[in-house]
Amino acid sequence: MTKAKPPKGLKGWAQGRSLWMLHFCTGCGAIEMPPTMTSRYDMERFGITPMATPRQADLLLITGYLTVKTLKRVIRSYEQMPEPKYVVGFGSCTVNGGMYWDSYNTIKRLDLYLPIDLYIAGCMPRPEAIIDGFTELIEGIKKGKFDGWIRYKENLEYYKRNQAMVMDIRKWSLDAELAERIWNEVQEERRKRFERATVKHVYELAERIPEGLPK
Amino acid sequence: MSLEKEQKVVDLIKVSFEDAEAEIQRERRVKVKVAPNRVFPLVAYLKGNGFKHFVAISAVDWIRDGEIELVYHLWNYDEKVHVMIKTRVPRDGGSMPTLKPLFNQAETYERDIHEFFGVHFEGNEKLDREFILEDWDGPPPMRKDFDTRLFSAEFYDQEDLESEALRLKIQPYKGHLKK
Repeated sequence: MTKAKPPKGLKGWAQGRSLWMLHFCTGCGAIEMPPTMTSRYDMERFGITPMATPRQADLLLITGYLTVKTLKRVIRSYEQMPEPKYVVGFGSCTVNGGMYWDSYNTIKRLDLYLPIDLYIAGCMPRPEAIIDGFTELIEGIKKGKFDGWIRYKENLEYYKRNQAMVMDIRKWSLDAELAERIWNEVQEERRKRFERATVKHVYELAERIPEGLPK
Repeated sequence: MSLEKEQKVVDLIKVSFEDAEAEIQRERRVKVKVAPNRVFPLVAYLKGNGFKHFVAISAVDWIRDGEIELVYHLWNYDEKVHVMIKTRVPRDGGSMPTLKPLFNQAETYERDIHEFFGVHFEGNEKLDREFILEDWDGPPPMRKDFDTRLFSAEFYDQEDLESEALRLKIQPYKGHLKK
């Protein structure tokens, strides 16, 4: 008995039309999701449904700025998701930091730390823009153009090194040995950056603060 | 506009605390300046006189004076008067007695100020535990001499890593797809 082969493109079609979305609502972008999900714009007509846990989801939607503290949780969630998995950055905070560009604890570019497949730009994007982004995503998945999880695996060391620059990856990575090694490697660089950012600068800044502040 | 109830609060404070500089700032608002060691007895005294709601502790960094100002906010529900008690501790090695025996919620505010301004609160047992910042070994980030913009540029721009991404041919996004 010969094994029947599925028709070409069936896999992509099936995957693209059935996306379970883990919406990691960090910033103000979360407020655009309820109208997108519910009767007004009805995301489910594209086969996208919210899912509560990472282990049953295949689309990670990050809606807004990420503090270092949140980034740890996002990476932990992402690494638990089954393949194929896609990451969508949502709003300008994930693109370049947005209005949090000079904050001491928010990252600027999410694609340094996680393999982004698609960005939805805007501050905040309207539900129409989100639907447009999801249509792109579905089309791309059908054609097999999005390969974020493969890039993540192939360049794991690169991503881990970037993550280790801003956070202690040892507690937050599934591969503990790799995390330990890279964490030890980046310590010197981290210390240098830290010195440049704080120690020397304290005196200069004290000079710049104007005299005669109100008592 | 009468300021009778506010004046009553000022008088109440002046009866027992001669060293406190109490003044009416505006309607429903009284400002008191005291020495750090007088804050605890003053808050205890006000608590016994109707100021049942301990609202918050906030801090201001006066970098030129080398001091950090702590502001304790109290609210009286019956009289509807807000009292703010201001006191200053040195920036380096400044210490205050904790207000936890009087109001439990003070513990949380003190942990917050300890983390962001570096003020030590004597008697607060949870002070050394991480509160908001995780794995933070730098200076307290809300102090005026901490340059948040420079810190952000050093840690989150990472231009050298972006060029590394180009070398590895990691593309963040494969361009606009043709439909």
